[in-house]
Amino acid sequence: MNPTDRSPNIPLIGAIKNSRLAQRRASRTEESYVRFEIYDNVPLHIRNNDSPVSQTIPKFQWITNMSRDTMFCSKCGEGFEPQEKIVNSTGQLWHQHCFVCAQCFREFADGVFYEYDGRKYCEHDFHVLFAPCCQRCNTFIIGRVIKAMNASWHADCFRCEMCNLELADTGFIKNGGRALCHECNAKVKARGLGKYVCHKCHAIIDDQPLRFRGEVYHPYHFTCTACGVELDANAREVRNRPGLAKNDTNELYCLRCHDKMGVPICGACRRPIEERVVTALGKHWHVEHFVCAKCEKPFFGHRHYEKKGLAYCETHYHQLFGNLCYSCNQVISGDVFMALNKAWCFHHFACSICDQKMTEKTKFYECDLKPVCKKCYERFPKELRNRLRRQHEASTKRAPTPVE
Amino acid sequence: METAPSSVSCLPHTAKMSKAKKVLEEAREIRNPELDLFDKGVSTFEEMPGLLNMTNVTRLTLSHNRIRSIPPGLANLTNLEILNLANNQIQELPLSLSSMPKLRILNLSINRLDTLPRGFGAFPVLEILDLTYNNLKEDSLPGNFFMMQTLRALYLGDNDFEKLPPEIKNLKNLEILGLRENDLIELPKEIGELSRLRELHVQGNRLTILPPELGNLDMASNKAEFRFEGNVWVPPILDQLNLGISHLQDYLRSEAYRITYNRYLTNKPPVPPPCVDKAKKISRLR
Ligand SMILES: [Zn+2]
Ligand SMILES: [Zn+2]
Ligand SMILES: [Zn+2]
Ligand SMILES: [Zn+2]
Ligand SMILES: [Zn+2]
Ligand SMILES: [Zn+2]
Ligand SMILES: [Zn+2]
Ligand SMILES: [Zn+2]
Repeated sequence: MNPTDRSPNIPLIGAIKNSRLAQRRASRTEESYVRFEIYDNVPLHIRNNDSPVSQTIPKFQWITNMSRDTMFCSKCGEGFEPQEKIVNSTGQLWHQHCFVCAQCFREFADGVFYEYDGRKYCEHDFHVLFAPCCQRCNTFIIGRVIKAMNASWHADCFRCEMCNLELADTGFIKNGGRALCHECNAKVKARGLGKYVCHKCHAIIDDQPLRFRGEVYHPYHFTCTACGVELDANAREVRNRPGLAKNDTNELYCLRCHDKMGVPICGACRRPIEERVVTALGKHWHVEHFVCAKCEKPFFGHRHYEKKGLAYCETHYHQLFGNLCYSCNQVISGDVFMALNKAWCFHHFACSICDQKMTEKTKFYECDLKPVCKKCYERFPKELRNRLRRQHEASTKRAPTPVE
Repeated sequence: METAPSSVSCLPHTAKMSKAKKVLEEAREIRNPELDLFDKGVSTFEEMPGLLNMTNVTRLTLSHNRIRSIPPGLANLTNLEILNLANNQIQELPLSLSSMPKLRILNLSINRLDTLPRGFGAFPVLEILDLTYNNLKEDSLPGNFFMMQTLRALYLGDNDFEKLPPEIKNLKNLEILGLRENDLIELPKEIGELSRLRELHVQGNRLTILPPELGNLDMASNKAEFRFEGNVWVPPILDQLNLGISHLQDYLRSEAYRITYNRYLTNKPPVPPPCVDKAKKISRLR
């Protein structure tokens, strides 16, 4: 499909069957699994019950005082001499010399024998004649036998020839005479083809792989973080925490959503910014659209001042927020002296009558919200001082007004 | 000048005079552009020889003296930015003053000015003009007074204004307007056009109503200080004032107030008498 697909962002439910993922899953059966047999190989009769593989308790006893006239050896069909030892096993009777290994004619050591095709064998001969030998470790297999690759194996000897993973329960793939796990097989195959193996499904990536958090994947395993559409190889990985080596917070976006994020949009005109971008107030701006909130003149790279999410030119910031010095009317660069609803450069705060510098420790009076030093205030006409005092008293009395 | 101490009463005066001269000499020596000549007992500029030639001076502070008149030659100090003549006995100003090219701050408070010279409003860069505590009224102002577009603060408290000319609206940069304790009967609606105004002192006048246009100003911002006490407000305004400045602002902006205001205009209440007794003002002294 064309990556610049203009279809709506929400995928239709009915379309999922046709998705690449669904198709891929359906075609999975093409992969050939080599079937192998597993069966249990255990001694039929063993005397001792100390072996973990024993499953039956032997019924093995010497018969001494029974009527021997009606008893015959299961092997040779002859009767038994009086006092002769008779072997009774699995409901049958034998002469002691008949109850022997069909191969070596010796009695069964410790009474352990194996039965195969109606004959009994000692452990040694049974192993030699019939028991499977592990292809890997060359010893007899007692218990679970894995039949695979035209050989038999102990379950824990049948492993992937590349990564040594046990294959008895996961299955394997024959690759050039080797048994490999799915993952290794895919890797080998991919390497041969100059391709990648998907980190998620371990199958070869036939088309363009998608790189994500340092691994490669089939793109169709992912959907766009923003719009949810199934991704293709054009998807973009977005670093959420730039500067951090760890990339496990990275996210994937389809090309369309990524482009929407990547091309900055002007916070003023809402159009994409093709040329120079100004970034301020947490937004992007066209250079000519980043303007003073008061006079609307662009800053064009001049210093701007931020207040409550708005940007102002120097003049208006200070005009609006009062950080122009009352005396020199310049932006206060150093310490600010705040008093009487006004601001001063620290060294410009002075008595309005004698122009002498005052500090935060100087006692001063207020006349029409201008600072007046004590000496000057005392030289004010007495009647003026009286009026100012009365007024001050009236205004402080007024402050807490009871509401009725 | 100071010869034999013939009379004892002359001594303090001589001592003060030499103090002023000493300041000038020192300033000349170290080329100090800021002259502190306040409280030097100076009556005339003759007592400060050479001052008018010190063209490097940027600040001249002559407060607390007994100066009665300003020589036109003061305008020679073309670098002067701050001229402080507070608490003197000045009755008249020279026309030349308003031509001073760099004068930003002019303090003429606590003097005896009845009038301002014609063309006084020609100051090119004046930012703060303090005329507090004089004998000025609307008729005293020259025609170009409100042409001072650079003015940030105009202090006219303790004068005799009954009306503020509507041309006040031309002072586009005005942030502070002091009219405390005048005889104001009303405020012009044009005051509502002073969009930068954040300080208004109209305490102690004879105001009864406010123009609704005043509500256009941001009276309730934390940078604003609007002082209305000591007037003879009509009850609805007084009620809002008692509730707080933001209530007053809302009220002035309301339709209800517009109706009330128009009723007051057509049905003018009697003008209250002056409420401040100014007979004792020393600015009245002659
Ligand atoms: Zn083995
Ligand atoms: Zn493997
Ligand atoms: Zn995959
Ligand atoms: Zn998307
Ligand atoms: Zn824009
Ligand atoms: Zn601006
Ligand atoms: Zn300053
Ligand atoms: Zn002082």
